[in-house]
Order: sequence, then C-alpha cells, then structure tokens
Amino acid sequence: MNTTLNLPSMREPDERILPAVWKLLILRVRITFNGFRHAKLRRKIGIVIVWLLLLGFAYFLLAMSQMLLGFMRSPELRQYIDLDFKSLLNIIPALILSGLFVGTLLTSFGVLLQALYLSGDMDFLLSTPVPIRAVFMAKLFQAVLPNFALISLFGLPMLFGLGISSGYNILYYPLVIIVMIALALAAAGLSSLLVMLVVRVLPPRRAAEILGFIGALIGITCSQIGNVANSFGKELNATGTQVTGALARANTPWLPLNWAGQGLVALGEGHWLSAIFLVGTTLALSSVAFWFALVTAERWFYSGWAGMQIVSRKKKPTRPMRLNTEATSFGFARILPAPVLAIVQKDFLTLKRDLRSLSQLISPLILGVIYTLMLFRSGGQVPAGRGEAPAWFMDSLGVVIAYSSIGMSLFVGWMLLVRLAGMGFSHEGKNYWMLKVSPVRTGQLLAAKFLVAYLPALGLGLLFLTTISILQKLSILEFLYGLTAISMCLAGTTGILLAFGVAGANFTWDDPRKMNAGTMGCLGGILALLYLPISFGLFIAPLGLAGLFNFPLSYGYLVGLIVGSSVTAGCAYFPLWLVRNKTEHLDES
Amino acid sequence: MPESLIETRNLVKRYGDKVAVNNVSFDVYAGEVFGFLGPNGAGKTTTIKMIVGLLRPTSGAVKVAGYDVQAQSMLAKASSGYVPDTPNLYAKLSGRELLRFVGDLYSMDRTQVARRIDELLRMFDLTAVGDDTVDSYSHGMQQKASLAAALMHDPKVLVLDEPTVGLDPKSARLIKDILRQMAERGAAVMLSTHILEIAERMCDRIGIIDQGELIAVGTMDELRSLDKANQASLEDIFLSLTGGAEEAEIAEIMK
Repeated sequence: MNTTLNLPSMREPDERILPAVWKLLILRVRITFNGFRHAKLRRKIGIVIVWLLLLGFAYFLLAMSQMLLGFMRSPELRQYIDLDFKSLLNIIPALILSGLFVGTLLTSFGVLLQALYLSGDMDFLLSTPVPIRAVFMAKLFQAVLPNFALISLFGLPMLFGLGISSGYNILYYPLVIIVMIALALAAAGLSSLLVMLVVRVLPPRRAAEILGFIGALIGITCSQIGNVANSFGKELNATGTQVTGALARANTPWLPLNWAGQGLVALGEGHWLSAIFLVGTTLALSSVAFWFALVTAERWFYSGWAGMQIVSRKKKPTRPMRLNTEATSFGFARILPAPVLAIVQKDFLTLKRDLRSLSQLISPLILGVIYTLMLFRSGGQVPAGRGEAPAWFMDSLGVVIAYSSIGMSLFVGWMLLVRLAGMGFSHEGKNYWMLKVSPVRTGQLLAAKFLVAYLPALGLGLLFLTTISILQKLSILEFLYGLTAISMCLAGTTGILLAFGVAGANFTWDDPRKMNAGTMGCLGGILALLYLPISFGLFIAPLGLAGLFNFPLSYGYLVGLIVGSSVTAGCAYFPLWLVRNKTEHLDES
Repeated sequence: MPESLIETRNLVKRYGDKVAVNNVSFDVYAGEVFGFLGPNGAGKTTTIKMIVGLLRPTSGAVKVAGYDVQAQSMLAKASSGYVPDTPNLYAKLSGRELLRFVGDLYSMDRTQVARRIDELLRMFDLTAVGDDTVDSYSHGMQQKASLAAALMHDPKVLVLDEPTVGLDPKSARLIKDILRQMAERGAAVMLSTHILEIAERMCDRIGIIDQGELIAVGTMDELRSLDKANQASLEDIFLSLTGGAEEAEIAEIMK
C-alpha cells in the first residue's frame, strides 16, 4: 500500500489587505455563480428575465429623465408656469445622493447585523490567517452592494439624465459614480459602527428581531400614508411654489450631505473651484468616515462577538403558559383534545413572543385602524343623489353599502388570515420533528392549525364589525347576518390557505419572511383573494336580488344563509381533506 | 428471550437513485442498550428517522413496541421517545412550557404533568432556568431539555441520535446513567454515536452500518469473534469492517 503523503508546504501568512478582500469577494461571487449554475432551468430563465427587465427599466428611466428634465428647462414651459425650474433641477443631485447615503445607512444596518454577528462564517474567518480588516471590508462590500445596486438603479439614470439634458461637462459622469460609491461605503461603515454599538446593549438575535418588527411597522405605515393623506389631507394642499421653495431651502450649503450634489452640479456647469472644493471635501470626508469605521469596528467587534459567546440568562422569567387543567375552565377549550389545545396554546405563545413573526401580523391591525378612521370620517351613509332614483333602488343601495362596510371587516380579518393560515405549518420550522414524532393525528394537527389561524382573524373581524355596526347604526339583524357571513367566509379562506400552506410547507427557513416564499404560498394567496368576494357575494347577492324582484328581505337572508354557508363550509373542509395524506408525510423529503 | 421492542425488517430507503439504507434488519430487545455505529453518511440517522416515524421507508417494515410504525403510527409513537442529533426546540417556550407542551401532546394525565416536569428539571439540573426561554440555553442545556422532553411520557422505547455531542462530562455521565436505568426498568434504548468508547462501555449489543447496509450486529464478544486475533477493541473492529483501517495507518504515519 502506498502511504506516501504530500504534506503542503506552509508559507508566511499574507497580511496584505486588498488581496485578502479580493479573495473573499471572489469566493462570494463563486458561491452566487454556483447557486445560479445549480438552479433549475425555470429559475435560471426567471433570473435572466428579471435582470433584462431591470436593465430595460434603467434605460427607460434614463430616457424619461432626459426628456422630462430637458422639458423643464425649456423656455416654453416657463411661459405657462412661473416656477424657478433651474434651482429645482440643481437640487436633484443633492436629493438623490442624500437619499443614497441615508438609505444605505439604514438598510445596511440589518444586513451588517446578519453578516457580522449572525452568519455562520465569522467563526471560521476569524480563525484563519486573514487580516480582520480584510474580513470587515469584504463584509461591508457584500452588505452595501445589493442596496447600492438598488438605489443606483433609480438614482444613476436620473443623474445621468440630468447631465445629458443640462449638457454637463464630461467629467460629471465618472465623478457621479465615484461619489456614489464613496458615500455608500461611508454610510455602510457608519452603519457597521451602529451595529456594534447596538450589540453591546442587546444580543444580536434580539436586535434582529426588534429591527424586523420596527421595519415592518415603518413599511406598512409608509405604504398607508397615501390613504391617510387622502382622507385627512385636504388642508395639507401646498402650491408648487411652496414646494420648490421648501426644497431650495433644504439644499443649504450648511448641510454636508448636500455638498456632493452641489459639487457635481458645479462640476457639470464648469465652476471648477467650487466643484473641486465640494467634491474633494465629500470624497475626503467619506474616506475618513470609512477608515474610522474600519479601525473602530476592529476594536468594537471583538467585544460584541465575545459577548455573543457568553450565554445570557434572561433574568425576567416568562409568564408561564396556562396548564390544561386551568384552561378547562374555559368552555371552548373543554371540547378540544389535549394535543389540539396544546398546539394552539404553543402557537399563540410563540407568535406573541417572536417579534419577527409578530411583525408579519401587525399590518392588518394597522390597516384596520386606518380604515376605521376613514370610515368614521366618511360617515358611511348612502349619498343623497339628486332625488330621481326610486325608493327600492335607494333601499337596495343602502343594504349594499351597509354590507360593503361589513365586507371591509371581512377584508381586515382576511389580511391577518393570509399570514396566519399560509404560514400555519411553515411556522414550525426546524421544530416540526417534535409534532411529527408525537402521537398527534393528522386531523388533530389540521384542526389545531385551523384554529390558530381562524380564531385571531375572526376576533379581529368581529372587533371591526362591532365598531362599524356602532358607527353606522346597523340593526341587530344586519349585525348577526354580517357576523355569520364573516365567520363562514373566513372559515372557507382558512381551509384554502391552510391547504396551500401544507402543499408548500417550508421547514428550513431562518428568516420568517421566507416562510411562504414558494409558488404554493403565492397561488394560495391569489386563490383566497378570488374566493373572498365570491363567497361574500353569495351571502349578500340574495339580499339585493330579493329587493330587485320584490321578495321579502327575509327570503334573501334565508337563501344567502343556505347558499353562502354551504359553499364556505365546503371550502373550509374539502381543501384540508385533499391534503390530509400530504400532511401525514410532511417533512419527509 | 426478552420482548423485541424495535424490529426492523428489510428496511430500504432510497432518495432518487441513491440508496441511503439497504435491506437493514435488526431487533432491539426490552432491557438492552443497543449501539448503532457507522461512518459519516452510512445511514444511521436515516434508519433512526424511519424508526421514530420521521421518514417513510421505501420498503420494509419497522415495529416499535409491537406496533407497525406506518400502519399503527399513533400507538408506535406513543410508546417511543426520540432525541435528535440537533436539539431544535421551540426557542420561545420556556423549559417548563416545553415539557408541558410535550406532556399534552402525549395526552398525559394532567395531574402527572406538573410533577413529572419538576422531576425532570431537577434531574437535569435545569430547575433554575426552567422559566427561561429555550433560546437562552447553551447547547448542552438544550440537549438536556431535549432528552427531558423525550423522557416526559416515560417511553418504552428511547431512540437517541448522538446524545452526548456537546455535553460536559458530568451531563454525559448523567445521560449514560439514565439510559442504563431505563434499560434496567425494561425499556429498549437505541443510540447512535461516534464515540466508540461510549458504545463499548454502555451498549449490550452493537450494530454497525456502512454504506446503507448493516454489516455486523452482536455483543462485543460476538463482534470480536469476527476478528482473527479475537482481542480487538471496538475501534479496531469498526475500522476493519468499515474499511477505515488504511486511514488509521496513514494517521499513524503522519504522527
């Protein structure tokens, strides 16, 4: 047997920073390339199409910017609109670059927290003879690159469009890119320092949870600002002159973030001295910030990282989960088998305690509050019109409007349901083995997951319905009928979404946002969205038809109750019946 | 002859073209500790997952406590406890809540649950952290919590995948003592391990699996009889059976 070994000859460790950074970045590129190479053909085609679309979008933005900004400079426009467009156009670079800096600073925080403290490769990298500064630089580049690319996708075509439409100097274009890179790196560097400050106070995982929660809150609040502004903002109307005035005031030279934009404009217009001063100062300050971040981060990182290795014991004990014996005092719980009740209690507890999951559920609550406020302001009454409509039409319209508002409470409950039912099984993640090895029947498991999704959505729907009923002075009959319709429609939605959740269950996620990232989650959402108006329509349409054909309204209620309840009960049961075998063999791949 | 509490018959598991477990048959009897050994990727965890009902065999049958794991899965699962190689536990439950949850899953008598939780927490030295969430536990504490969860319903069959990984010597000794006590009380204990010394000292019988096939089963004496010199340690037997002897020789040269 040949037992000769070729032992590697050891060389002195290479302490140069840039070659090490290059090696680490090339590694990341190789991992990304391998991911693409081993992906399914469908995914590869999808990725190529997305890239082509993004490039097309960037070109479209460039062309639009060039055309629009050129138009804003035209003397013809000034004849009709008395605005100082030149100063408005000069603000654009400062606005975009400030947005880039602040955007990178904020978005890099989460990415760097993950990359520096929660990714598994730091232990390995720090144990190898790679300079720690190189590791940091590589991590910073990795963190900043996706966000930088995204912001550049919007910012770069606009800045180039501005340059082309204004006939700026040729030096403007390369310096736009250099300044953008410098600002992004400085922002990422400062963001890394913020991360290290935070992990001195909070454990990194907790910080990531809180960050996710705050991010979700800000996201949903920002997305609803338009609605709120429409409802409340009649007094907020501002003239174009006021807006341009405010923007011009924001472009003050006293704000260092504006220097880069002002310097680029000066460069484009050929004001060399101010251009060299402003752009040079920006580049110098960015370099200093980046260097300072690197040096400080080296010192701070070890203390945060070392803190992570110490197991922190939470001094504050958890509020204990109620025993089943205690829960039996609650009538509803008494009829549930112990495993079902245990899973329901466990899921509510884990959802409540995990901020990352909680943030996924917060949006329907915010929407509920916003819609309630909007409804409160509108009054929810039938518009009087000009008096020519017959009485039966106005009565039918009143019924439809009353039930449209009830439909809104159904929609709010539905939004909560989409998350809860869709992630019902995936929420178990890597802990699913505990349910799988225990003697829990498939029916019990499905029943437990059904209740976990259905009960909070029903509770929210009921809360919203009660509020609407009080605001709109609905009759007891309308309230009860609305409650039945909402309960049954939500039950049907739960069945559909839970079944799709089983079909697309993903137990390998680390980031809760990726729980339902598959095709099945998407299909389930679309189907549930189609189902919602149809199922609610089955309850409401007979009421309108009864009015139309001069039947007593009670006939409409009866028909709606029978048809609507039958269909929704079927939707609640049959999808789950179809996936019962799949449920039994989940997570066996 | 003691009762066979784990029976595997011609067990096969295929993943596409790859055969992970091929025609594996063995028994684990009441009152014995059975060690399941094999190199990395030999099929130990796959076999164990089929025994506890986490994976469906491609063919063959598994019985636990006399119940077919596929046909009578509820009865089979109610009789067994499982400790996985990685203690993935509900991070946001406290140790006490986790054990209560497991007790409810097994439909345990409600009056027993609280008493059993206190017993187990005390036994595994987790009483002080019983109300802390699992995500604040060290790996060893999570491993102990995982074992406590498996013991919650006092199973007749206990299956453990690498139970001593990441444990300090005191905890490892505790687990060994508990497993021995369970066997003495008539339970069947099956454990996989890479630490051959543990297997040699703890296990009444040992099965060795390699490339998905069970290549040897028996007591230490029976395994030794496979070796010509008849004096071999479990390490020597393991290496000669799994083809690791050459690698051991290379390692000697490198010293």
